[in-house]
Amino acid sequence: MNVRLKFGAAALIAGLMASTVPAFADFWSDAGAKFKGVTLHGVTESTPPSNYIKDVLAPEFEKKTGIKVEIETTSWDQMYDKAIKDMEAKTGIYDMVYIEQDIIYAYLARNFLVDITKSLKDDPSLKAPDYDESHFTTFANYFKGENGDLFGVPMEAFIKIYLYRKDLFDDPKIKEAFKAKTGKDLAPAKTHEDYTQIAEFFTEYGKANGMDLWGTTAQAHTGHPASWYEFFESVAPTFGVYNWGIDAKNNYAASVANGGTMNSDKSKAALKYWLHLRDIAPPESAASTWTEVASTFAAGRAAQGLVYGENAAWIASDADKSKVVNNVGVALPPVSDGVMADAESGKGYIGYYDGGAFGLPVTSKNKEAALLFLQYIGQDSVQSGWAVAAPRITNTATYEDPGVKDMDAKLGGYYTMLKNDGKLFAGAPPYPFHAQVREATAPIFYRILTGEVGPDEGLDQMADTAEKELKNLGYRK
Amino acid sequence: MQKNNPVLMTLLWILLSLATLFPIYWLFVISVKPAVDLFTTPSIILEKVYWANYAKVLTDTTLRRYMINSLIISSGNALLVTTLAFMACYALSRYNLAGKENIFFWTITNRMAPAAVFLLPFFLLFTQVFAIGDYKLYDTRIGMILLYCTFNLPFAIWTLRPTIDGIPRELDEAATVDGASTWQVIREVVFPLARPGLAVTLILTWVFAWNEFLLAATLTSFNARTITTGLSEYVTTTGTEWGTMASIAIITLIPALIVFTVVQRHIIAGLTFGAVKE
Amino acid sequence: MGSNRTGWLLLAPTLIILGGFGIVPFIYVLWVSFHQWNPFGANPAMIYNGADNFRRLVFDTEFLQSVWFTMQFGFFAVVSEIVIGYLLAQLLMRDFPGKSIFRTIHTLPLIVAPIVVGSVWRLMTTPSIGIIPYYLNHWFGYQMNIGSSATAAFVTTVVMDIWHWTPLVTLTLLAAIVGLPKDPFEQAQIDGANRWQIFWHITLPMIRPAILATVFIRLMDALRTVDEIWMLTGGGPGAATRYVGLHIWKIVFPKTDYGYGSAISVIVLYLTLVMCWLLYVGLVAPRVKRST
Repeated sequence: MNVRLKFGAAALIAGLMASTVPAFADFWSDAGAKFKGVTLHGVTESTPPSNYIKDVLAPEFEKKTGIKVEIETTSWDQMYDKAIKDMEAKTGIYDMVYIEQDIIYAYLARNFLVDITKSLKDDPSLKAPDYDESHFTTFANYFKGENGDLFGVPMEAFIKIYLYRKDLFDDPKIKEAFKAKTGKDLAPAKTHEDYTQIAEFFTEYGKANGMDLWGTTAQAHTGHPASWYEFFESVAPTFGVYNWGIDAKNNYAASVANGGTMNSDKSKAALKYWLHLRDIAPPESAASTWTEVASTFAAGRAAQGLVYGENAAWIASDADKSKVVNNVGVALPPVSDGVMADAESGKGYIGYYDGGAFGLPVTSKNKEAALLFLQYIGQDSVQSGWAVAAPRITNTATYEDPGVKDMDAKLGGYYTMLKNDGKLFAGAPPYPFHAQVREATAPIFYRILTGEVGPDEGLDQMADTAEKELKNLGYRK
Repeated sequence: MQKNNPVLMTLLWILLSLATLFPIYWLFVISVKPAVDLFTTPSIILEKVYWANYAKVLTDTTLRRYMINSLIISSGNALLVTTLAFMACYALSRYNLAGKENIFFWTITNRMAPAAVFLLPFFLLFTQVFAIGDYKLYDTRIGMILLYCTFNLPFAIWTLRPTIDGIPRELDEAATVDGASTWQVIREVVFPLARPGLAVTLILTWVFAWNEFLLAATLTSFNARTITTGLSEYVTTTGTEWGTMASIAIITLIPALIVFTVVQRHIIAGLTFGAVKE
Repeated sequence: MGSNRTGWLLLAPTLIILGGFGIVPFIYVLWVSFHQWNPFGANPAMIYNGADNFRRLVFDTEFLQSVWFTMQFGFFAVVSEIVIGYLLAQLLMRDFPGKSIFRTIHTLPLIVAPIVVGSVWRLMTTPSIGIIPYYLNHWFGYQMNIGSSATAAFVTTVVMDIWHWTPLVTLTLLAAIVGLPKDPFEQAQIDGANRWQIFWHITLPMIRPAILATVFIRLMDALRTVDEIWMLTGGGPGAATRYVGLHIWKIVFPKTDYGYGSAISVIVLYLTLVMCWLLYVGLVAPRVKRST
């Protein structure tokens, strides 16, 4: 076992080395010569894409340049705390920090990050030949400052999509039963009404047939921000409530009274729609974060659901983790009238586009060497191996790779959707107070979930609390 | 002694042990199941064993490093703390020091602090204040050993004090009359009598240091990272890798169990001593 | 006895370490607690705001609720642990076959890291598929859902704490009982005292300092527990298990509200101190008086 594993890893690395373009090796050794003996420190989350950097790209880079790279992987909560403490105290421990799309604006507001575009322009000797900013997908826009310069090299990107069970949706007996019951053909829902109907149908169907099957997933944990995220980033937008219902241009208003939409009728309708789905979802939903939602779907306990793209890959393809391999279909989330038009015109969006990048803290003591490494992981040539090992795409060059195309077929066209419809999705709104407002309002949201507060009243309180917190933070005048 | 039914006692303890062991057994079950089997109807009995989690964990050199760090930090801290607490308790018990009861109470207040907020001053101390040139306490084992004193030293002092107070002063005095120095009294009279208490203190401070998470997560990064922080790495946005986490947890039980068995003997040593004392 | 200088010398290392790592950070936190400071506020600097933070927390229902839940959690967990722990320690004083094995088994929960304990209990209590809810439903028809029932979540946190920390109580009390002289017990038996009388008049007064120390440790640890609860419930459902340690954690980590978080910490520290002081005065002071 031991030997086989090691051999496997060696073969993987050898394969990857062969696939990198050898002509550029010269640039890396020349550029690296200046920084021999330097050790770069990075902090990131322990996810497959980050582990690929740690286990494959960093050692490769070290071999070519002589610059040592140490990547520290931590849990999600720890990562931010460590990076923030380091940058705030100007300690200079880290030369690279993982920046999720939702924290970049906070970092930019504090000038924590180095302008990568400008730095490479100022010192062309550092510019790697196989690195080109313009090759990144539109996701890179989330890491650009007001001047249009890049502040982070995108390393992973996913969309939260509508997953459904192809085997169930294509089952003739089920199709017939559905038709008999509703008079409609069973197909992935395009509207909320359809989605609810399908969910209700499958929950009843599961009960009637003694199956562990429910009609939908719900990421409705009553004490973890995952539920807050599902509502504000994935459900509310499909009802036309964008950016958490906070209007940045209007003095950060959240409540309807002041011009916000957090407690608008649309928002309240969205919440009731979602709470109903939660009620007919599997019982574990009340304790489900993204981890459990993915596990629920992978265990075959839900017929459809909104699932983060980073999980879609293993659900559809890894038999050690999933029972529904090859039975997963992907579709765009159901939306209300007008939302699709909003999304196409750029006024709105239909779901969450998440992911992260590597940024360079201004407090780093090895900025030049770190710039080299950031370019190294942004190169076209390393993307395809990375995409296959850890399903993520941030560079347009990746889509055409045969390995990626293979994977796309297995994932029911997820990559095609990312490529064609990625623009309909959006990341977190550009707020420097992301976590602060989330944490201020989340306790009320949890109370809505437990039923201590009604949904209407709860959203009113949340809008009010959000405004208070924004005032307290000094953003709302 | 009291009446005693060995059969009943054994039965009682078997029941108690089952209750105690169940969550640990379940930890093992999680560690030998593929992720796909965790979200299905549970069954108490394991039908098939899946070792892939262990294969992954045992070949990971980083985890081995974390484990060694944990062993060094918790053993170093437990020994340091027990020694210092023994000295301190002897002083508090035998000397008429001004305000000693207040000092005694003050020590425990150091354990009351909610850790989260104190991480920031610790971070500043470790990176900027306690630094000589390039040498910083941040991310060093010695730093963690010293830091863990903040919660372990008060604990040790408070658990040891009753033991030391319980050792009759007459014994010390007799030895002093016979010409023994303070050091000899401590080593030859008090130490043997305090052994059960010292053993318990050593075990428990070791446990607290071994299990500590928040401080280590913030104040170590590459070199001194401990196994508990390693465990938290498996809680990610892509999902928590329960199986891997559980298999590491099971493996970490082994060194802990060894330490326990070795040190626990000294509690028994105390028991036999009690018999002799009659 | 020897000179006091030797005494201070023996105490010195403890005082130095606790001073450097205890008092200095405390002063820093105290200083921060008089400021408004959120590095991601519109103004990221520290702004002195007097006692505003403290004024704010008096009316902060979330905080007060958290303190109340924490007290309940601490009370139920610690009382159960002391009672069970004491009984087990007494049982371990007797002779029976396989005693050392049982003692080792009983201490096993201690060596499982809290973050792992939280994870295991979370998996054991996942609604409908965790082993505990599954069998409760199967055998008794009881639907246990720690995601929606505040009581279920509260009880689970207490049971988990008892499972994890009773061995600590057993061990510390065992050490105390082992160290007791035998004569008073024999004398009492000769005088015809019953078990209850022996416990109340002889055992309890003699091990009172050890019990007190154990109660202190367990109480203050229960009041600042984070990792286990964070893994198990995240503080939910609603705020039912958002105990004060976790509450502070959420304010300081994700919300980065250092100023207010520091103020809450100072108050929590103060409350814990007062509680322990009252216990200390109530239980130890009479003993000191009697012995003089």
